[in-house]
Amino acid sequence: MSIVVKDLVKSYGSNKVVHAISFSLEQGEFVGLLGPSGCGKTTTLRCIAGLEDANGGTISIEGEVVSDPANGIMRPAHSRNVGMVFQSYAIWPHMTVAQNVGFPLTIRKMGKKEVAERVDWALGIVGMQELAARLPSQLSGGQQQRVALARAVVGQPRVLLFDEPLSNLDAKLRDATRAEIRRLQRQLNIAAIYVTHDQAEALSMSDRVIVMDRGHIMQEGPPKDLYRRPANRFVADFVGVASFVEVMPTDDSLAWRTPDGTTIRVAEPAPATSAGGAMQLMVRPEAALLSPASAAPAGDGRNVLPGRIVEASYLGSHTEYVVEMGGSRVRIHSGDDLEHESDVIVSFAPTDAQLIPISRD
Amino acid sequence: MTDAVVDSSRQAPEAMTRRPPPNGAGRDRILNVVYVITWLTVVALVLIPIAALVFGSLRTAGPGEGGEWTLKNFVALGSEGVVGTILTTLYIGGATAVISAVIGTAIALIVHRTDFRFPNLITALTGLAFYFPSFILAMAWIIIGSPGGILNAIVNGVLGIPFKFDVYSVPGIIFVMVLHQVPFVYLTMRGPIMGMDGVYEEAARAAGAPPLQVLRRVTLPLLGYSVASSGILTFIMCIEQFAIPALLGTPGRITVLATQLYLLCRFDPVDYGLAAAVGLALSAITGLAIWAQRSVITNARLTTVTGKAGRLAPIRLGRWKWPAYILCFGFSFLALIFPAIILIYTSLQRYFSSNPFDAAYTLRNYTFIIESPSTMSSFWNTLIVSGLGALVGVALGFLASYFTLRQRPTGYRWLDLLAAMPFGVPGIVIGLGLLWAYAYLPLPLYGTLAILVVAYVTRYLPYATETIGGQMVQIDKSLEEAAWVSGAGRLTTLRRVLLPIALPSVQGAYFLLFMAFFREISSAMLLYTSATSVISVSIWSFFEQANWGEASALSVIATLIIFIAMSLILWLSPTSRRS
Repeated sequence: MSIVVKDLVKSYGSNKVVHAISFSLEQGEFVGLLGPSGCGKTTTLRCIAGLEDANGGTISIEGEVVSDPANGIMRPAHSRNVGMVFQSYAIWPHMTVAQNVGFPLTIRKMGKKEVAERVDWALGIVGMQELAARLPSQLSGGQQQRVALARAVVGQPRVLLFDEPLSNLDAKLRDATRAEIRRLQRQLNIAAIYVTHDQAEALSMSDRVIVMDRGHIMQEGPPKDLYRRPANRFVADFVGVASFVEVMPTDDSLAWRTPDGTTIRVAEPAPATSAGGAMQLMVRPEAALLSPASAAPAGDGRNVLPGRIVEASYLGSHTEYVVEMGGSRVRIHSGDDLEHESDVIVSFAPTDAQLIPISRD
Repeated sequence: MTDAVVDSSRQAPEAMTRRPPPNGAGRDRILNVVYVITWLTVVALVLIPIAALVFGSLRTAGPGEGGEWTLKNFVALGSEGVVGTILTTLYIGGATAVISAVIGTAIALIVHRTDFRFPNLITALTGLAFYFPSFILAMAWIIIGSPGGILNAIVNGVLGIPFKFDVYSVPGIIFVMVLHQVPFVYLTMRGPIMGMDGVYEEAARAAGAPPLQVLRRVTLPLLGYSVASSGILTFIMCIEQFAIPALLGTPGRITVLATQLYLLCRFDPVDYGLAAAVGLALSAITGLAIWAQRSVITNARLTTVTGKAGRLAPIRLGRWKWPAYILCFGFSFLALIFPAIILIYTSLQRYFSSNPFDAAYTLRNYTFIIESPSTMSSFWNTLIVSGLGALVGVALGFLASYFTLRQRPTGYRWLDLLAAMPFGVPGIVIGLGLLWAYAYLPLPLYGTLAILVVAYVTRYLPYATETIGGQMVQIDKSLEEAAWVSGAGRLTTLRRVLLPIALPSVQGAYFLLFMAFFREISSAMLLYTSATSVISVSIWSFFEQANWGEASALSVIATLIIFIAMSLILWLSPTSRRS
């Protein structure tokens, strides 16, 4: 295990922001820490880096305990040997690109020649060799980002920590850099934690995603699991777009009934919960098909429900319709042009109907 | 998901009809008149004394005495005496600036970046020291450290060590100037240190740098330009400084340019022409230094430290704890507490005695002050000049900032340049310039309080524009534009939008000027008459007559008033603290 976090607690005064969370990373694993602002994801990252002192629990990096306040262990940030990329890049304005990248090496008293070689290697990885003598103020945002990346990996750290590193880049550059970060991390085979509030970023980059809310881990798993089988309403809402239909149980655990009496079949029975079994049905907007009310109903055991279009937003590649169906409003994407306020038929497979426990708060 | 934000079904009330915005053009014409008046006033304030000085430096006789054109005054600048004075001035200014920059930055770093336990106490004490008038500080240190002072009485008399402290020396002058200037460095470094984006240091820590390395390789280099800028400003203030070198230098015949100018005007052989040339030389040096400071700031833009001031992890002092305590409390003790105690002690004695058990204690110094009509009138004069003068200064500073930053009418660059210029002109030089000018101008200002107001406002105009303008540039242009779009004219926008938003800085500037005027001495030295004496001059006169008791008593009262005014500021307007 590269990183093991166990029962990590962090509070500011009486305000507890991380509530005894635990997770671990394998060698070379890329884990996305996803959540809305204020969920404790950045605080968790900073506790691992040693920039914040945890109040409880343990953190170990490659088997070495670096934070265990109960036993008086609190290794300072500078002796944890991590590589970190900051949201604002934190490129020191008074040093050249080469000096910035070489800093982790010179601070370890490495010889001049070796520093130069390693800096050259790191700058080569991010394609910035020819800008080595520049000052940060002469670089674009994307270039500063690359310098930050080179600086994070140059010292061959035990783990890589990313604190929303792409949020200050424009959309196109962001997509390219995502792939680049992932390629670099695979090549170096270092465990990486990537903090972000952008679910697309987390899903596309991570081997595994940890979703956090208000200092708790809400769900943890591979991106596909998270999207297809969210454990609760929060994850369903936060990861991707989701619509919910009110449903009540029937005698058949695979059949549920909407308030207006339509039966919806699901592929899997509801997960056991402590919340008394109250459920909602989640449908992703791309999973449902829309057809005019006049069209023939679909077969293959698909759920078919009558609905009515109440809103339509044209988005280029598709149109997002809001459909009133079974007493709920659902969002459905469709390439077809349908009349506003017209009656439609909504159909989706039982495997695309996911039961989600209704949260109690 | 589908909550309506805009409820389009709501109808406008029937009674609401469209009404054209008020016609602001007429009132905006008033603004043009105000601009012209502001412009002319600033030009007159700044250019008249400078022009008079140039005129005076080219004349053979004193102000209003006729004479002929000559260059001999500039030739005399090259004489051995004057060159020696210039070198002494540069040496004292340079040494003080370097030492003050180091100590002030160290204190600011200790207070704001470490786990030092009494940051608020040291901030308060240093703030008080900043407002402790220089001439009072110098007097206290004369009582303490002169050949016949307290230190020598203890060291030689009591302990029997044959070592003589002599504050009447170049090191003595530098020592007292450092005590006076460190608070300035501290206050100017506070902002950059607290405003520094903590992420740079965090990145260094994450990159493996231990605390001292973070300080050496990231924090200090990032602060480098701020330290340099603060050091140069300190240098300027030192060579402009009049009271400390006059009090400490005169007995030991150590002259700097500012004191030489004064001696040339007040003691035989009087030579107003040479004094004017010396004043121009002094202004040239400060002008050069200001240019250097500006280019430092321009270079600093390359490596600007911007960003949010995050939660910064305090550096643990560890074994550096005691040196830090000694530096911070030692400084506060020498610059504020000890001098204050000595002044109170001296003010309570009939005749000065170094031995507190041998002294004859009395309150008669205080009763004398209250019963003396001339001292009381100097009190009232000071209050009038400070209270009204600061109002004039702030009004002018606000208008100058408004026009140069927001309106930019024709000629605004001149306004900007001229309003900043007096910073390079020492107070005593402005005094001499006005002395020359009003000997010829038909305005009967000489011998009135008004000429003091003119001198003070001119000298401190840059402080007012800096304080108010500093906040005004940060006000988003769209706030004004929104008002214009809503139908407000420029004048209404100024009154209803800009002034309320800028109010904290206007208040801050008023108090800043009030305090500066209250303790100003250098520009008053050549302009006061017995009817227009101010407190600073009265203290000075008592001291010159070797009347240490009354000088101390009056100093204690003046200092108390300053400190009370300062607490009022902090209490009244918490927002103005930053300025």
